[in-house]
Amino acid sequence: MSLIEVKNVYYAYNENSVAIDDVSFSLEEGTYTTVIGHNGSGKSTLAKMIAGLLEIQKGSITINGLAVNAENIARIRRDLGIVFQNPDNQFIGSTVRDDIAFGLENKLVAVENTERIIEEYAAKVGLSDHLDYEPQNLSGGQKQRVAIAGIMAMKPKIIIFDEATSMLDPKGKKEIKQLMYQLAEEEITVISITHDIEEVMQSDNCIVLNKGKLFMQDKPEKVFADAEKLRKINLDIPFVMQVKEVFRNKKIKLKANDLKGMAEELWRLNSKR
Amino acid sequence: MAIKFKALSYIYNKDMPYAHKALDHIDLEITEGVITAIIGETGSGKSTLVEHLNALLLPSEGSLEILDYELAADKKVRFLKPLRKDVGLVFQFSEYQLFEETILKDVTFGPLNFGYSPEEATQRAKDALALLNIPEELYEKSPLEISGGQKRRVAIAGIIACDPKIIVLDEPTAGLDPKGAKQLIELFIDMNRTLHKTVILVTHDNEMVYNYADETVLLHQGKVVYHGPTLKLFNDKKMTEEYRLLEPQIVTFRNLLIEKGFKLTDEARTLDKLAEEIRKQLK
Repeated sequence: MSLIEVKNVYYAYNENSVAIDDVSFSLEEGTYTTVIGHNGSGKSTLAKMIAGLLEIQKGSITINGLAVNAENIARIRRDLGIVFQNPDNQFIGSTVRDDIAFGLENKLVAVENTERIIEEYAAKVGLSDHLDYEPQNLSGGQKQRVAIAGIMAMKPKIIIFDEATSMLDPKGKKEIKQLMYQLAEEEITVISITHDIEEVMQSDNCIVLNKGKLFMQDKPEKVFADAEKLRKINLDIPFVMQVKEVFRNKKIKLKANDLKGMAEELWRLNSKR
Repeated sequence: MAIKFKALSYIYNKDMPYAHKALDHIDLEITEGVITAIIGETGSGKSTLVEHLNALLLPSEGSLEILDYELAADKKVRFLKPLRKDVGLVFQFSEYQLFEETILKDVTFGPLNFGYSPEEATQRAKDALALLNIPEELYEKSPLEISGGQKRRVAIAGIIACDPKIIVLDEPTAGLDPKGAKQLIELFIDMNRTLHKTVILVTHDNEMVYNYADETVLLHQGKVVYHGPTLKLFNDKKMTEEYRLLEPQIVTFRNLLIEKGFKLTDEARTLDKLAEEIRKQLK
């Protein structure tokens, strides 16, 4: 049995807007899965269904053999954390220390242990020197790292990232992505909703959604092998493929798969004339 | 008319233990009628800089001349409304600002507030919504019922409807899918090319900067360290290394082609134009 099993799930916000339509897949423990799809493809809805934030209208999701439903949700949440897009919307405490403490207090961790746990996880995300900082004095990337520390301190099996890096600058993005890869190495199951092609290429497994339906689930190399197919559903494709496509439209076929190779190929074409 | 920062500094939490100088003696004249990108790491002062443009923040020291207005430290501002009509500021994640019952009402709010008659305001709102490809059947819907991309466009329509002379965009495409992002950016390019609006673009997306911005301002720790043509900045190895600018992939490709012996003009800054120039040389 897989850690997460999604079977024929369906969700509609109203009769005219079906967000998730008959989607099924399973995810193995300790894997890093990216979920891609254009805006409105149902990515966030799906993530919220897995996290039990939206009710499953049809079908079922099981996590570790336990069905995601009202009855089991408290149990499931102990194993699952979610990091949202906007770093400003998820800071609860008045300092970094308080923010990480919040979850621990809810989990009724003994007071004498909280300080040690807070320090351990602040160190993990590289914020040991920032424990007494207030949120307004932190960068977006730092705020997201606090959110991640707070979740890691709860020792979940699964962490869902809902476009957690999309509001960050390149430096912040890089920091958070490194932290996410590190989580995967620590056997935490990561599900990341993203538009970041580089991140997708680093993942074990990629789920492509289109108009609420499962379009593809495969290794990232396989998913990007057919650029035309992805472009049809309005997805970003790697730069190298964009180059190939632009030249193909001008009746110039390029075989190489890297920029250097393509520049050489073009130059050879030029010399022939 | 001008957009001229004169020795402008801005200090957050002034006279407090946490005081922080976000802008440090900025001397900068932004060229009118062109597209200027403002780039720099988080915390370099980009947002603080643009928030001065319509007096959301007032200088702690120095002054800012913008259009016919002047903002200066310790000087009372008497012209907030006309300034804010002339300088449209589209915030990051502007869709969070929608508040009216219907989409049409939301977009009409701005022009109505700036003194257009109700008929005129409604007309302006409808024109702006059409420009942003919001279909008429959505006009009476609640802004909360539409998709994220549509919400963003409705929020932007609200700014466009006020007919600003200067449009300031803070990360306008963050979180949008590639097609939505491209459509939106092309709309602003078009407003610049056909209506000669001054467009100021704050972004982390160097690919977008290279493709579209005529000029670039690079901020570093609250200071302007570069202001000039975008291409010149990204061709300057010393600058890109010193400030750790991510090289746009199109620049990497351009340089590889030039090394081989191809000739590329400064116009070849989008993939389409670049491929077109290469194709011509192959004939």
